[in-house]
Amino acid sequence: MISLSASNSLNSIHAKNGLAVSVQNVGLTYTTSIDKRPTLKARLKSLGRGKKHTRVVQALNEVNLDVHYGTVLGVIGSNGAGKSSLMRVISGIVPPSKGRVEVHGSVSTLLALGVGFNPSMTGRANVYLGGLAAGMSRAEIDQQFTAIAEFSELGDAIDAPMRTYSSGMYARLAFSVAATVQPDILIVDEALSTGDAHFKEKSLNRIKELRSADRALILVSHAMATIEDVCNEVAWLHKGKLMARGNPADVIKQYQEFTNAGKSAAANEDV
Amino acid sequence: MSAPVVIYEPFRAGLPPLGSYLRALWSRRSFIAEFSRSELREQNYGSVFGQLWLILNPLLLSGVYFLLIYIIGGHSDSTRYGHLTASLFLFYLVSNSLSGGVKSITAGQRLILNTAFPRIMLPISASVIALFKFIPTLAVFLVMRSVLGLPFSWQMLWAAPVIVIALFMGLGMAILISCINVYFRDIASFLPYLTRSLLYLSPILYQATDLSAKLKSVEIANPIFYLLDAWSQVMVYAKAPDLFSLAHSLIWALFIFLVGTYFFLSRERDFAVRL
Repeated sequence: MISLSASNSLNSIHAKNGLAVSVQNVGLTYTTSIDKRPTLKARLKSLGRGKKHTRVVQALNEVNLDVHYGTVLGVIGSNGAGKSSLMRVISGIVPPSKGRVEVHGSVSTLLALGVGFNPSMTGRANVYLGGLAAGMSRAEIDQQFTAIAEFSELGDAIDAPMRTYSSGMYARLAFSVAATVQPDILIVDEALSTGDAHFKEKSLNRIKELRSADRALILVSHAMATIEDVCNEVAWLHKGKLMARGNPADVIKQYQEFTNAGKSAAANEDV
Repeated sequence: MSAPVVIYEPFRAGLPPLGSYLRALWSRRSFIAEFSRSELREQNYGSVFGQLWLILNPLLLSGVYFLLIYIIGGHSDSTRYGHLTASLFLFYLVSNSLSGGVKSITAGQRLILNTAFPRIMLPISASVIALFKFIPTLAVFLVMRSVLGLPFSWQMLWAAPVIVIALFMGLGMAILISCINVYFRDIASFLPYLTRSLLYLSPILYQATDLSAKLKSVEIANPIFYLLDAWSQVMVYAKAPDLFSLAHSLIWALFIFLVGTYFFLSRERDFAVRL
């Protein structure tokens, strides 16, 4: 097994079970433009007609959530429940419109794969580009490069432009880069379903490796089996509200009863 | 417990804490460099001449405009050609920064929605790309002016502050326009007309001294008029620029930069939900 996590025990500055993230009464409403492309022309055309250009979206409502170090928190909920919005608020991408979020430690997000990649560059160049985008330093990437390349199993293709990659290869490289960052708090949003069954297994194992007493992990997924396997706590969001939180098996059961999804094969199948 | 605590609270229009913002920006400097380099490489990717276009482009451009002023003006000499080329190259430093910057935020959507970083990085790298494109043209011009037999003198060192002001001007414009484009996307379509007007309103196809005193006083409103005039004095005539030209362009550059940066920084936390 190739290990990317050489520095697992390096930064044990956090008290065991210390507070990692504290979400206090957070609400997120945002006004977004109705048109996909807000233009000056559209503005001028409807001047004085009282037409509305924006609508208000309530993404999160009075959410309270504490995450301690050593926790692997799974976040579940149907589409549009506010899971991704909550992750963006915690990682500082979107400021909350109500309440307060405290983050004790460095955060790294894996909200989408291949962020910052440039398809016309080689895989090698993109490892640097993606790593720098994720906040690593050039020296850190130099040091980890062999491990990243080996983990992605791309072989010689690492020196080919990324536009020649299959989507699986693309995702594998993207995951390998993202999984190298060693933050105190790691937020993963449905990014585990990369590549074939073999690589999926490998990336899941990688996430399991990252579990440690001095790290907090937040995992957003629709794959209940994975959540139950990996997490030691689960939070369930529905329409921007926190419905339940606690023991994975219990919360997942409540959620499935609520959605009537039951234990149909499709709900459990994928990561 | 020495872990840094970061607190996120509701967005208010206002500046973020500048100290930590600048530190975050500084720590991303190698990303800015890498990002700009890959964008630049992508632009000429797959063309026969590849990176050679960085030199071919400005040469062809100055050739075409020379043809234009020769036909319209009916006469020409080497000084005139030198003036045209030098001014055109500096003009493109500013206008490339502007046209590269306009979509830097809207095109960086994936990056903005998925990573937390100082957003001002994106228009900055547009200006860095413009600078990367400018450097080879400067070398081309230095060769060209020796062929044309233009004079050399130590006064040409004034080129350095003029370039810095131009760079600053372009950066300020890129920051301002990238922010406006988030709210009004048609600015990007409008921009070619704006840069074209700037081109004709500035002393490039003609010399600043060709204008009447009345017209010249109106040109105070043109941020780059006296910048290009100073540039021509330095690069073509190898003279020191007059103080007024330098002061005029410096004040405009500072003004645009400060207004643009304030506007951008006080708005950037709103970008993620606007894209």
